[in-house]
Amino acid sequence: MSKLTVGRRHVLKAGAASLFLAGMPITGFTKTKPPGTISVIILEGGMDGLAVIPPIGDPDLMKIRRAVTPASYLPLNEFFGLHPSLKFYAQLMANGHASAVHATAFPYTKRSHFEGQNLIEGGGLSPFSEKTGWLGRALDLSDVAGRSLSLDMPLILRGHHENDNFYPASIRGSRRPNAQLLNIIAMGHQMDAAQLFTKVARKSEANVQVPRDPASLAKYAGRAMAQAEGPVASVIRVGGFDSHASQTEDGDTDAGQLAQQLTVVDDVIAGYRRGLGDAWDDAIILTLTEFGRTVAVNGTKGTDHGYASVGLLAGGALSGSGVIADWPGLSKKDQFEKRDLMATIDYRSVCAACVEKSLGLDHDVIAKEIFYQPDLPRIYDHLFT
Amino acid sequence: MNKHFVIAQKTGLMFRYDQNLPQDMGTWIQKQLQVASPALGIATSDAKVSEWPQNLQPDLSKRASMWRRYRALEKQRREGKNGQDTQAARQANRHENLMREIDEHKFVQRNVYGADQVKLRLTAFWANHFTIGNTFDTGQMIGHAIDEGILAKLNGSFADLLYGMTTHPGMLTYLDNVWSAGERSEQAKGCARKPNCQAGLNDNLGRELLELHTVSVAAGYTEEDIRAAANVLAGWGIDFQKELPEMLKRTGGTNHWNAYKKRWAEPGSKKVMGQRIYAGRSGLRQLTDFLANHDATIHHISTKLCQHFVSGSPTEDQIEAVKRVWRQSDGSLQLIHTKVFALAIEAPEAKFMWPMTWLFQVVRLSGATYFKGWETINDYDDDLMSTKRVFKELGQSFWSLRQPNGYSDNKAEWMSAEMFERRIRFAQSIYKNGKPLQSVGQIMDRIGAAQQTRALVASAGTSPGDQFITLMCSPELMGLEYV
Repeated sequence: MSKLTVGRRHVLKAGAASLFLAGMPITGFTKTKPPGTISVIILEGGMDGLAVIPPIGDPDLMKIRRAVTPASYLPLNEFFGLHPSLKFYAQLMANGHASAVHATAFPYTKRSHFEGQNLIEGGGLSPFSEKTGWLGRALDLSDVAGRSLSLDMPLILRGHHENDNFYPASIRGSRRPNAQLLNIIAMGHQMDAAQLFTKVARKSEANVQVPRDPASLAKYAGRAMAQAEGPVASVIRVGGFDSHASQTEDGDTDAGQLAQQLTVVDDVIAGYRRGLGDAWDDAIILTLTEFGRTVAVNGTKGTDHGYASVGLLAGGALSGSGVIADWPGLSKKDQFEKRDLMATIDYRSVCAACVEKSLGLDHDVIAKEIFYQPDLPRIYDHLFT
Repeated sequence: MNKHFVIAQKTGLMFRYDQNLPQDMGTWIQKQLQVASPALGIATSDAKVSEWPQNLQPDLSKRASMWRRYRALEKQRREGKNGQDTQAARQANRHENLMREIDEHKFVQRNVYGADQVKLRLTAFWANHFTIGNTFDTGQMIGHAIDEGILAKLNGSFADLLYGMTTHPGMLTYLDNVWSAGERSEQAKGCARKPNCQAGLNDNLGRELLELHTVSVAAGYTEEDIRAAANVLAGWGIDFQKELPEMLKRTGGTNHWNAYKKRWAEPGSKKVMGQRIYAGRSGLRQLTDFLANHDATIHHISTKLCQHFVSGSPTEDQIEAVKRVWRQSDGSLQLIHTKVFALAIEAPEAKFMWPMTWLFQVVRLSGATYFKGWETINDYDDDLMSTKRVFKELGQSFWSLRQPNGYSDNKAEWMSAEMFERRIRFAQSIYKNGKPLQSVGQIMDRIGAAQQTRALVASAGTSPGDQFITLMCSPELMGLEYV
């Protein structure tokens, strides 16, 4: 079934190309849908990758971070384990539908949340250098829309005029806004604001009611992306990863703040799976976090801002499971600035591979026009073949 | 809009429908900056505007004892003791002992009914600069920090404001400092000898003190500087739930705002950004004074003030003008604020309003009664939502859990279809359930609405509700430019 769907899309794509070459644009022709969908879960606060996918084969791990390493990790192979909160994700791994990339980071080493968050969403060469986001630019190149499940429009999606957001309101004394009135108000506004009011008008006609917990929003997003005219990308934010204190509970390293937030992430991935239905086969989901955390545990049973972390990938577009890493080691001499996990894989390469897979853009175009880094390494084959 | 309202939109919260307009706007601003102003509000929906009652504005010690009482009763509830395990008992405990909802209600009423609108806008700016997210027990303290840490300090120096907010128990808790121990402190050393005991440094507050509250990353400090700042801070603050006598014994302070645990402090002097900071309790004041007067801080915050009040992209000249006053006055907030407002009045462009600012302005201009009185805060009302819910739906509240960088002054962060949908819905809700005392025509006449605004409202048809939504979501009332 899945192969048939993909096949049909390829045919459509070829058809569109030949029409274009023949110089015969047909008005109203449905634009080519890209080969898959891409969803980003932004993990705000800096996720401790070493606790999520603990490198149990590294002899230094338990010496340095027993207090924050989950005792009942699930062994993935001889070297890596998985946090027990990621139950659904573990099943996906068993079925070849999830992977992780370890010791990876955006090239940012200054450990500020806000610079880091700006950089991983903007995707430029330095923090605050971009007014649009890497996913927004990718969608603009493909001329397809994305949707954020949030009240705001996150930087990562900015850059394509058709992108929109979704976060249902519940306000006493207000009914569904009248679309006609919204269009009138839109006419009084300048371009950018007018576009937004027009989108509100469109949305008010659809009248969707969805609970606002991240898992329900993910399910809704999956369902929307599964539709023929639906968005091709979605973004969900999960906060609470800034685990400076009480990262694990007293006497129970499987529980605590991080474990709780990972359960949310697991539910979000499960929500996507349910919502996407058959479209799961062409879907790719990836996490994004501004930095990892210190190798050592701090004085309040937490970890401070660090450098490299882990990226979680899920979706039917993956063709097998694994932990992809060029392991740098945890000993003092192997650490970045004698405190953090060193990054050996540029996470922009992971994002680029996911864009290549889902939107069908060429790696060189992605590197040059989305990340402004023409020599960005291509690691597509490590993830998708 | 006529000049009065253009200025009140940028620097204040708009003149309430029944408020006389001042002769001179400059004098009007000055007067507000200089005079102490009580919290105003209403006791019930049909009551006259009056001062908030003292018993709803407890001090820190009272807040701490309420918090302990709340926790004790919650424990009894979990254990099924003393009849605490009923819904009614649980609710009574919350109403009697938690300050979060009362504080937000007070803040909101004050913004709706207050005559000190310029001061309230400044309070919001600084409450955002020194963001305390609502986590764990900080909900009990945020309101206190806003009133006593910020509003009460607006006439002092930035150095005083900075020291007060750095040492406020809300901040010390939100950014983990109450649990942080110096690397070589007695506490850390003692703990190292015991099993299952952990104590050491947590650099969360040290980092944000430098990055967000003062010099910003542009200053180019190092991880060593952050660590040193965290070591200066180690020892400050104590768990809010600690019994008072124990707290006093362990800290030598007199209340939670000056609690300093010597055992947790880092011995010896430290060096932060080249400045030597001496050991002991006075080291922190030395550090915050050094940071408060640092050129990078002056630049960072002058820029932020201009972005908030003057223009989305202020000129170098505008920023420089604020910096000059800052240096000349040794950081006198009153003089700095005066300069910022003078620039705001001179600058021709409209300024996009934060959702909360816009909502306050809509309610004030229209004379709607959109929030309950303080006596009826816990009563169900068919029309009026709880204050907490209003701001949750709006997507902006100082009592939310959010990141320490607070709300952005970058317009792009607020431009989304859902954000705009909220404006429409709240305008509708304020019209329908808030029952404004002023008609759309009266509001437009009073503010001197632009021709484009009148035309836009006219095109919305004859329904007064639709006209109200259109007016409040017009470019002019949202602080956006016309085509």
